Amino acid sequence: MDYKDYYQALGVEKSATADEIKKAYRKLVRKYHPDVSKEPDADKRTKELNEAYGVLGDAEKRAAYDEVGSGQQAGQEFRPPPGWGGGYEAPSGDDSDFFADLFAHVGGRRGGAGGGAGFQMRGEDSHASISISLADAYNGASRTIVLRVPQRDAQGRATSTERTLNVTIPKGVTAGQQLRLGGQGQPGHGGAPAGDLYLEIEFAPDARYRLEGRDVYQTVPVTPWEAALGAQIDVVTPSGTVQVTVPEKSQTGRKLRLKGRGIPGASAGDLYLLLEVVLPLADTARARELYETMARELAFNPRQKMGA
Amino acid sequence: MQTTYKPTTDALIGVLLDDVALTVEELARACAVEPEWVVQRVRTGILLDGANQDSGWRFTSVDLVRARRLRDIEITFDANDELAALVVDLSDEVRRLKARLSATGVD
Repeated sequence: MDYKDYYQALGVEKSATADEIKKAYRKLVRKYHPDVSKEPDADKRTKELNEAYGVLGDAEKRAAYDEVGSGQQAGQEFRPPPGWGGGYEAPSGDDSDFFADLFAHVGGRRGGAGGGAGFQMRGEDSHASISISLADAYNGASRTIVLRVPQRDAQGRATSTERTLNVTIPKGVTAGQQLRLGGQGQPGHGGAPAGDLYLEIEFAPDARYRLEGRDVYQTVPVTPWEAALGAQIDVVTPSGTVQVTVPEKSQTGRKLRLKGRGIPGASAGDLYLLLEVVLPLADTARARELYETMARELAFNPRQKMGA
Repeated sequence: MQTTYKPTTDALIGVLLDDVALTVEELARACAVEPEWVVQRVRTGILLDGANQDSGWRFTSVDLVRARRLRDIEITFDANDELAALVVDLSDEVRRLKARLSATGVD
């Protein structure tokens, strides 16, 4: 894992006060918020800012970060010192965030510090996201995630254990749904139960499909003659190849609805096919000849309604 | 003494919150807030808009995501609950419209 300079991310000095850190975060998170920002990397920047503020905005976590981070440079490979537990859940294969790897256990320390004989406290709930493909939503899937769980040894030192969970993703999930794994959150203290782990479903970007709830949208290229004359075409959809009737006189943008072929569920979504007429290039003598014949014989003026 | 985890070699089957919704206490715990925080926001219509005001409150995935966003905005910007709700509502609308544009092939 690489060391991340959270002070640099927020544009503040290491000596910044809590108020300065908060102001810097507020300013930057407004600038890069993906709902309003035009910056191409707004989503990534917002995640970085949230990660940085998650640590520097909390006095205890900031102190822990300063302790292990002294002498480190941003981007430098970082090895946690012995005795440092990892912290949080990270889908395997994804970039786990630095804070999650190192500092989420601080909450556990806080609970443990107050613990005398008989002290009991349920573990905190944890949250993470899990990225799946659209095919996973159609068919169900299983994913392996790795949790680095904070523990304390007999001397009270922070250690960690790594747990691997195989999680079953049910068929028919949609973006934003929360999957609760009981007892898989932060450990409890004094024999109290562990918290729960909540996994938020996210879909990995797929240029072929766009989603709106359970409805799936897919652009389907068609030839001019398929669009003009109508045709039966094979289309590869998330649920397999289907034969679709392209009605005659279709134009680019025509929407064909395949009822119930969206993401499955009690009320299954629909699959919408958006036709896109693609013109063949006039890159051979024969192709040019055919275009010239159409130009001559069709008397077609697409700008007629514009008064041309 | 810390909790010992159960062995996790088998596949864990999570529960979708939309199948088994959360109680007030469970939502509060998931958001690291007091149950009263949740109760106040239901009573003012910020959460579970239009819900029965007395009892039987259950919270699904949408409510959990919304509650966590509300809490984050309140804490980060020292915002009151109504202002945080306005920000979340506007943000939801932006996301909905963006998803609509994207679905129809306009990015």
